[in-house]
This record gives sequence, structure tokens and C-alpha cells, in this order.
Amino acid sequence: MDFFGAQDDARRKTWRLALLFGAAVLSLVVLTNLLVALVYGWAANHTRPAAFDPVAMVAALPAEYWAWISLGVVGVVAMASGYKYLMMRRGGRAVAEALGGRLIPPSTTDFRERRLLNVVEEMAIASGMPVPPVYVVEEPSINAFAAGHSPDDAVIGVNRGTLEHLNRDELQGVIGHELSHVLNGDSRLNLRLIAVLHGILFIGVLGRGLLYGVGRGSRRRSGSSGGAPALALGLGLLVIGYAGTFFGNLIKAAVSRQREYLADAAAVQFTRNPAGIAGALKKIGGLGSGSRMRTAAAGEMSHIFFGAAGRMTLGGLLATHPPLEKRIRAVDPHWNGEFVVPAATPEPAAASEAAPEAAHAAPEGVAFAAAPLPSGTDGASALEVHATPEALAATVGRLDDRGLAEATRLIAGLPAAVHDAAHDPFSARALMYALVLDDSEDSRKSQLEHLARHAEAGLPETLKRLLPAAASLDEQQRLTLVEMAGPALKQLSSRQYRTFMDNLAALITADQRIELMEWVLHRLLVKELAPHFGAPKIRRGASGHGPDPDCVRVLLSALAREGGRTPDEAEAAFRAGMAHMGLEGEFDPRPDPDFRRLNDALRALRKTAPLKKPRLIKACAAAVTADGRVSVREGALLQGIAAALDCPLPPAIYRA
Amino acid sequence: METIIVLVVLAALAFYLVAIYNRLVSLKNRFQNAFAQIEVQLKRRYDLIPNLVETAKAYMSHERETLEAVIAARNQALAGLQAAAKDPGNAQAIRDLGSAEGSLGSALGRLNVVMEAYPDLKANQNMMQLSEELTSTENRVAFARQAYNDQVTAYNSYRQSFPPVVFAGMFGHDQDAALLEFDDSAEIRSAPKVTFS
Repeated sequence: MDFFGAQDDARRKTWRLALLFGAAVLSLVVLTNLLVALVYGWAANHTRPAAFDPVAMVAALPAEYWAWISLGVVGVVAMASGYKYLMMRRGGRAVAEALGGRLIPPSTTDFRERRLLNVVEEMAIASGMPVPPVYVVEEPSINAFAAGHSPDDAVIGVNRGTLEHLNRDELQGVIGHELSHVLNGDSRLNLRLIAVLHGILFIGVLGRGLLYGVGRGSRRRSGSSGGAPALALGLGLLVIGYAGTFFGNLIKAAVSRQREYLADAAAVQFTRNPAGIAGALKKIGGLGSGSRMRTAAAGEMSHIFFGAAGRMTLGGLLATHPPLEKRIRAVDPHWNGEFVVPAATPEPAAASEAAPEAAHAAPEGVAFAAAPLPSGTDGASALEVHATPEALAATVGRLDDRGLAEATRLIAGLPAAVHDAAHDPFSARALMYALVLDDSEDSRKSQLEHLARHAEAGLPETLKRLLPAAASLDEQQRLTLVEMAGPALKQLSSRQYRTFMDNLAALITADQRIELMEWVLHRLLVKELAPHFGAPKIRRGASGHGPDPDCVRVLLSALAREGGRTPDEAEAAFRAGMAHMGLEGEFDPRPDPDFRRLNDALRALRKTAPLKKPRLIKACAAAVTADGRVSVREGALLQGIAAALDCPLPPAIYRA
Repeated sequence: METIIVLVVLAALAFYLVAIYNRLVSLKNRFQNAFAQIEVQLKRRYDLIPNLVETAKAYMSHERETLEAVIAARNQALAGLQAAAKDPGNAQAIRDLGSAEGSLGSALGRLNVVMEAYPDLKANQNMMQLSEELTSTENRVAFARQAYNDQVTAYNSYRQSFPPVVFAGMFGHDQDAALLEFDDSAEIRSAPKVTFS
């Protein structure tokens, strides 16, 4: 299944989820009503315990009671789900925090943490998505999770045991599995699932609370029997709660199990190394604590993990994950059936990743020579194009070893100064400023003056130190740095973030002329950071929604203007793009000075349904490749615009 | 009937309480995560200081006391950092770190004054680089501290707002978190600086 198919499938699963949820709530309503009827009848006939007639009891309950009870149950479930849904709107980090995760500082110097961050970074850049922040959960078992509505607010979490027991290849397997959940839209589905489950499970929680309260109350007023019906009600609610748990687990299993195989397969495709993920799974089997999670919060979130969070019940009917043996056999058919007992504390293999700088050395376990990019690549230099628009669109959201090789090469090719700066909140801002500074002496001077007045102490100095290295970066590298700096920039406080964004906007508009690339970088930064700092989220359109022709025209015109050397060439590029969409339209040769039209167009196009997006990406690719040349700038533009449309495009394609 | 109404009201109340609890936990998490950033920067600063003293020693053998004072202050600040890093929610530990940092700042300030008398030392390549790095680290510390203090302020003001203030104590959030203030911020900012003229 390709990226768009998986997205669409996740959407359809959302409908199924809603249906199952409805069924579960209905069952809960009926069960609760029956329970109350029994308790009511029992309480009314208290004096004659011998006359136990359930049918008569149910019939005896007044009709309005039925209505009220049903309303109560639906209300409570809706409240519980709604509450959790609001919590989950804060994105992946809400989940990580609920599980007790601790954020790994992007500039960490701990060997194992550094290695994990490097692995996550390489793989994220390989798939064209922003690098997600990484959390560590203090649990000795081997497990990991990904959570988030989109690649922009996604986070990765791993257990301490994962860091300690897995080697680099195995980490790659696990992270590849998790990133593929994010790219396929599983992690968004999973967040919704958490909210839904919370509502269903809440009745049981309520029952437990009632039992507890009544129990304490009756102990105080020893002897009084007034609490008996409430006690029975509490007990009953608890039983219904267990029924709710059953439904909940059934839903979880129905939605998530199949997707685990897919994610495993994606991880193998990503690394071309089945030994990685198979090794991780074998170690889970060999480790005493396996992949179990001790924190209570893991219960309702068991479906977001890499391995099963709890024990298997009912012969695996309710399992969120396929059995370990089956998963291992799926990636390693020649497995001899033996688990691997992980060594207690594997030695850090040399200090190769102890410091951020060390990431420049080709990481162990990646079997290719990392040739540094030619530095100072001219943005206009042409690249050989072997890729057709169709081939380009097919790589959206794809994780493969070629992308990984390209990402490693890109990261290794970055000057050490800018690479390090991207991992530290303080210098990451300076780096982002440096990326949008002008070439011309005059406007650069006024830009620096603006920063000296409006930025925090020490920033201009840091910026000046970064400038020589930053000036030689090509567009592809700039894009990579924007993706890379995400975790560091997400560490700013809200106040610092506002200052940063204000300054960035001021720098971009300082020369009265915004370049398309600057605009794309800014667009991506906003898209990546705004959800984290609590800006309102874009609502998605209905799934039958196709791209608006006028928006397509605006977007393709902008791309064509950038790529064509002459107006005729530009118009030809535009026509090639429109032909892919099957649309007619006038080429717009005028530049868009304030980018308002392009902004609006992109915002509207972002809502396009997943299955209609490939065509849009193909059209953009066709406009870019029309003249047979793709410059690094055009390539980065295409990648940036695709990312802004929620279609992460791996960086490898231009060098195919 | 009443039971149902009571149940629904109870449920609503429970949600509200859980929401307050979660918000407190999440705000606390956030300032603790922000402390990690300060920790990284302060550690770098504490690692630089012994090198600085080592370099200075070769030139200013008569100023032993000043140098020893710097090392002592550095060690105390390092201990303070370790204590605070264990539990950034502990207001006393944060205040201790703040004052230890303050003393370190003034010790460095004195060293700075003394160094004026040793033009050779100031011209030393190694020294210039160390001073430069120290200054840039100061800026990073200040920036990380600002982020931390912003998060602490968010936590404290939520904790003190009504109605959370009624329940905060019950949930184990009975204390304001302390802002990290260095006693002598002005002096720190002018820590050993070499003018390039």
C-alpha cells in the first residue's frame, strides 16, 4: 500500500471506529438500564427477598427512568471522550507526558541518547518529515511509541530498556516502524482511539469510585444499610465497566493489529535490513520484562506501542499486537525460534556518537560511503533528471534505504557549525535567521540592525559566527536544517517563540521582496512549530474534496515562474503541470509580491483528499521537470511545497 | 432519578478535577524539561572554568587565592546544579543554585579585574578562545534561564489561579516553583572578556 492509500485507509478506519464506538455505547446503555432496573426492583421488594422476578423488575421500571438513564450514560461517555479528545488535541507530547516521558534535550551528550537522536534524525530526514522530539520513559522493558496528529506534532518515545539493550541496527528497525505509523496516519487514528476508549472505560472508573465512596461512608456510619443499593449500583457499574473494557479492547484489536505487520514491513523496506527489526523483536522475547509497561496510563494506550504493553488474554483475541513469533517470522522466515537474551549492559561502541559533532562520521551499520556534498553548490546548478512526475509522486511518504543513504549523506555534508547550531535552542534561532538573510550588503546590514535591537542578548554574535558556513548552503541543505531544528526550536518558551517568529517575519520582509524559497522555509517552520505553541489547527475537508482549480493555477504559476528561464519556458512548464491535472487555465506571469494568494491557495490545497493528492504532486513535479532540468533550488522547492501539502517527499529523488 | 443526576454531576466534577491535575502535571513537566536545557549549558560552563584557571595559573602564580576562590565557587555551583537537576521542583535547591551561581559570577568578576594586570595572559590565544566561549555560554545560560523562568511562571500562575488553587495542595502541588535568579547577574555578563582591538 502506498502513502496515499494508507492515509485513505486510516481515514476509512476512522469511520469504522465511529461505528464500533456507537455499538459499544449502545450496549453500555442497555446494560446499565438493565442493571438499574434490577437494583430498583430489588430495593422496592426489599422486604420480600424471596420474590425475585427479573422480568417483572425490568417491566416495573418507569419509562422516564429509561430515558434518563440512557441520557446519563451517553452524557457521561460523551463527556469522558470529549475531555480526552481535548487533551489529545495538544498532540503527541500530551501522550508522552501522560506516560511519564522525559524529553531528551537535542544537544544531549549521553552516548545512548545521542545515538537514538541521530537515528531518529536520519530517518525523519530520509522520509522528508520534520524531525520529531524524542522522549525517554523510565521503564526497563523494550518498547517504543509514536504519537501525533501529523508529522508536525509527532513525538517518538522509547523506554530506557530500548536504549540500553538494542544496537544501532535494531534501533533503526524500531524507529522505522514508528515513523511509518506517523506517515501512514496511524498515529492520528490512535489518538482518536484513546479518546474513544476513555469514554467507554469511564463507566467502570465511575463504578469503582462509587464503590470506594460508599464503602468508606458505610464504615463511618457503621450498621446503616442505606448504602446497599448504591453499593449494588457501584458493583454493577464496575461490571459494566469491565464489559466496556472488553468492547474497548475489541475495538483496539480490530483497528490496530493488522497495521503492526504493515509497520514492520515498512521498517524493513526503510533499512533493507530485516535483521534490525527482527533482532529487536527477538530481544523483546528474550528479555524478562519483555515489552511490558508498568505505568497505569499505558493501559488505555496499549495500541500505540511497538510491542504489546500488557499480557495476552483470551488467546490473543483482544491483543493489540500480533504474537511476537508471528511478527518475527513475517520479517525473518528462517528464524530458528530462539529468542535473544540481551546482554545486561552492552558497551557503547567507541565514542563515535558521544558528541553532536560525531554525527559527521558515517554511522556504523550503514553500508555506503558518505561522500560529502560539494560545498558551495550554486543553487542554479542543474541536476540530471531521470525521474518522471509519476515516479516522483510515487516516492511521497516512502521510507526506503535510498532515502536513508541520501539523508545520511546530506547530514554528513552539513558544515559542523550549522549542524551543531540546529541542535541547540539558542543557536537554532540564529541559524534560522541566517538562512533568510539577504545577499546584498545593504539590506543585510539593516537586517542585522533589526536583530541587534529585537533579539535576545548574544544572538547577533552567534549569528555572525554562523554566517560564513550558512552562506555556502544550498537550498536542499537549508530545507534539511529547517526539518532538523524542529526539536530544538520546540524548546523555546512561548514568549521566546513569539519573539523568534516576529523577528523572522521582519527579516524576510526587510528587503520588500520575498523570494519563493524564503517563503517556503517560513511556511514550513510555521507549519512545524505552530501546533506545538498552540495555534489553532487547520480543519480538514471532506474526503471527496478535490483540489480547487484556481488554487492549482496559482501554485503551478509560481513554480513555473521559478523554474523557467524565459517567459515562454515558464508558460510551457505551467501548461505541462496543468495538463497533468486535466485543467485549463491562464498562466499568471506576474510575481506574487506578498504571497497572500499563494498562502491562501496552499491552505486550501492542503485540505485535498489523500487519494486526490498524488495528481496534485504529479502536476507540481511536471511543472518543475518540464524543461528537462531540475536545479537544487527547484528540487528543494518541490519538496518544501509537497511538505506544506502534508506529502513528505524524500530528498533522494533528485539524485536518482 | 436523583442518582442519575448526582452521577452526571459527579462525573463532570471528576473531569474537572482530573483536568486540573493533568494541567498541573503537564506544566510541571514542562518547566522540568526546560531545566534540562539550563543544565546542559551550565555544565558546559563548569567544564570550561578549570581550563581557564589552568591557563591563567601559568601567568599569575601570585594570584593563587583568586584562582582558588574561582575553583571553590565552581565546585559549589556544580554541586548545586546536581542537587537542583535531581528535583527542579524543589524551590530551595533552585535558590541554592542561584546563589552559588552568583558567587561564581563574582569570583569570575574578581579574576577578570586581576587579569587586567597581565597583558600577556590576555593576549594568550588559548585564553582568548576560552573567554570567548565562556561569554557565549553565558548568553546561552541566560536564554535557557529565560525559557525556564517563563515555564515556571506559567506553572505558578496556574497553580495560584482559582479554582486550581483550592485543589493544588491536595494534588501534591503545594509549593510555587522557584524562579532561577542569579544573585549577581550584572557581574556575570561582564565575566572575563577580552577586547579585540
